[in-house]
Amino acid sequence: MIGTVLFYIGAVLIFVGAICDLFGAIGLLRFPNFYVRLHAATVGAIGGAVVPLIGVALVAIGSDFLGSIKYVIAGASFVTAIIILIVAPTASHALAYAAHKSKAVKWEDKVCDHLEGMEK
Amino acid sequence: MSLEGVFVKLVIISVPIYMLAFIIYSIRLIKGPTIFDSVLAVDCLSFDLAAFIAMLAVYFKSAFLASSAIILALWAFLLDLYLAKYFVRREVGA
Repeated sequence: MIGTVLFYIGAVLIFVGAICDLFGAIGLLRFPNFYVRLHAATVGAIGGAVVPLIGVALVAIGSDFLGSIKYVIAGASFVTAIIILIVAPTASHALAYAAHKSKAVKWEDKVCDHLEGMEK
Repeated sequence: MSLEGVFVKLVIISVPIYMLAFIIYSIRLIKGPTIFDSVLAVDCLSFDLAAFIAMLAVYFKSAFLASSAIILALWAFLLDLYLAKYFVRREVGA
């Protein structure tokens, strides 16, 4: 009984993750420059990868058609979800720092840039 | 309807959405103005591919597919860190 409830919660999480993935992809295509695209990339990484992985873990632990390998799939999915939750903000922060430091991104309509005069 | 039938129907619904998202990420990967846009697209593509592989592991009832998702996520993180280190210091180093 509790397995069926976990299965349906996981199925809803997988569907929400697919919708978030599509929205993140559209934002990554349509936004004007690199620093704005970082927001859409966070939607695509956290909402599109962490949420479906937790959903897959719940589905695998609640399903009876998998046999004994359901614990392997659930554990691997949960570990991958935690790894992506730690790693994705670190990676995008390092990428934004490198892009501002190497002055590779030119963008118009600049409102303000507080780091502009800080470099030596 | 059994649970396996529900899961097969869920895969049939959500795989085209994932495929459309992968195609849009690939467009940004090819036409990105700077290299940072391309690397950001590869980053999102790898993380979402890890989730997709975990979903296929339940569909094909295979335990080996699920363990390869960890390697894929860590590889995308390594790519970002090496590229950021190269663009800050102009060398990769140790």
